[in-house]
Amino acid sequence: MKDIKIKVNDLSLYYGDKKALNEITMDIPANKVTALIGPSGCGKSTFLRCINRMNDLIPSVSITGKMLVEGVDIYDKNVDVVNIRKKIGMVFQKSNPFPKSIYENIAYGPRINGMKDKTELDEIVETSLRQAAIWDELKDRLDDSALGLSGGQQQRLCIARTLAVSPDIILMDEPASALDPISTSKIEELVHQLKEQYTIIIVTHNMQQAARTSDHTAFFYMGNLIEMGKTNSIFTKPVQKQTEDYITGRFG
Amino acid sequence: MATHFEMELDNLKSIIKKIGKLAEGQVSEAVKILLQEPEAAEGKIIKKTENKIDKLDIKIDEICQSIFALQQPVASDLRFIMSAMQISNEIERIGDLSISIVKKAKNIKEKHDLILKFDIADIARQVELITVKTNNCFASQDGNATGVIFVLNKDIRNSCEDAIHDIINEMKVNSKAVVSGTNLVIVLKHLERISEHCTNIAEYVYFTVNAKIIKHDKSDDLKAEE
Ligand SMILES: Nc1ncnc2c1ncn2[C@@H]1O[C@H](COP(=O)(O)OP(=O)(O)O)[C@@H](O)[C@H]1O
Ligand SMILES: [Mg+2]
Repeated sequence: MKDIKIKVNDLSLYYGDKKALNEITMDIPANKVTALIGPSGCGKSTFLRCINRMNDLIPSVSITGKMLVEGVDIYDKNVDVVNIRKKIGMVFQKSNPFPKSIYENIAYGPRINGMKDKTELDEIVETSLRQAAIWDELKDRLDDSALGLSGGQQQRLCIARTLAVSPDIILMDEPASALDPISTSKIEELVHQLKEQYTIIIVTHNMQQAARTSDHTAFFYMGNLIEMGKTNSIFTKPVQKQTEDYITGRFG
Repeated sequence: MATHFEMELDNLKSIIKKIGKLAEGQVSEAVKILLQEPEAAEGKIIKKTENKIDKLDIKIDEICQSIFALQQPVASDLRFIMSAMQISNEIERIGDLSISIVKKAKNIKEKHDLILKFDIADIARQVELITVKTNNCFASQDGNATGVIFVLNKDIRNSCEDAIHDIINEMKVNSKAVVSGTNLVIVLKHLERISEHCTNIAEYVYFTVNAKIIKHDKSDDLKAEE
């Protein structure tokens, strides 16, 4: 189906002998925000990392099942990981700008991809910063070091950096959990705007954030996907008792 | 151990039970005054209780408002608090209608004869019963207890319609009966409204428990089947 961007089928993941994801099956819709919620250690980040094959970097990991991105099984032997990661950007909890200028942070990805033309690069830097809603704040100081920015600005810069290589999918792992409320609401607003162009999957331990930003919510518990549905239904009438207990704070 | 939030919800629930009991008392007081004459001590108690109901109604709104602002309730908690606000409105209306019944009852001459003639006592007792059942339904938060209330409401509505029809016919042939008859029709309309408010409360309990909205669902039979 055209509206489904990512199709997950019976996906299990082991760290050595330890099963961290248990037969996850779900459809992630295109151009929507999907939130992953659940208690610490339930496998949200692990699942997120499966989507861009970041777990490949961990030697003990083994994976079974399928992860289809636009119909292509990204765990197929013939698939080039580099191409996957190009299409799928990732933003982490701790913003991690390079110790370079603001401009160079954004231009880095496109340069690696072979772009040399200065005007083209300028254009990408501007568009990416605009899309990340941070252009007006930074346009006069593009040559300053990125490390001098506030936490909230650094995080939006990292989002801009992700956008600069024009991905289809953006993965965000607790992108606002280290930020103050104002920066948080800027990130949330940004997420809302970006979904027109991108498919966004966001891990958050902040239930209200999931409720505010996402179209669909998936609740994970101990490596299992307990329930996935429209965010509105999950937060008003969840089907599973475990989901109800978790979102109403009556867990365990 | 109950969390702070659960204690707040329990508190809210017990205040609603309290206001519900007060309204139930108002209805039974109104029915007593309607069915008996002369209206001895009428007015005093009922007015005092009315003030209590109004105060609790406001208190419930304040509690709900603060829960919304501070706790961001979701799922069944959200439905319970939404319902709590609505239910307290319904209860407050039941209280008002009881008072109106008392006022109208004063203007009915030869009340006993009329009450006997048009089976008003039966209807009044049924309305008393539906308020009791409604309070029990809320207290137990039992989605299955709502069906009985929908059925009872339907009976009450039919009986009221029949009685009103008969009273109007009587007024057509007997012009002396017009003033009392009109007042009695208004009383019946009020009784019918009380029963309707009880039904609304049952609908909110149903919503809280089953996450399904059945108000504006026109078919009572359907609701009764639920
Ligand atoms: N690199 C790793 N090696 C071994 N176990 C891991 C590794 N990363 C995560 N885990 C384990 O997998 C489970 C899921 O972790 P994670 O995906 O980080 O959960 P979440 O993001 O929901 O908090 C946890 O029990 C965690 O300890
Ligand atoms: Mg995590």
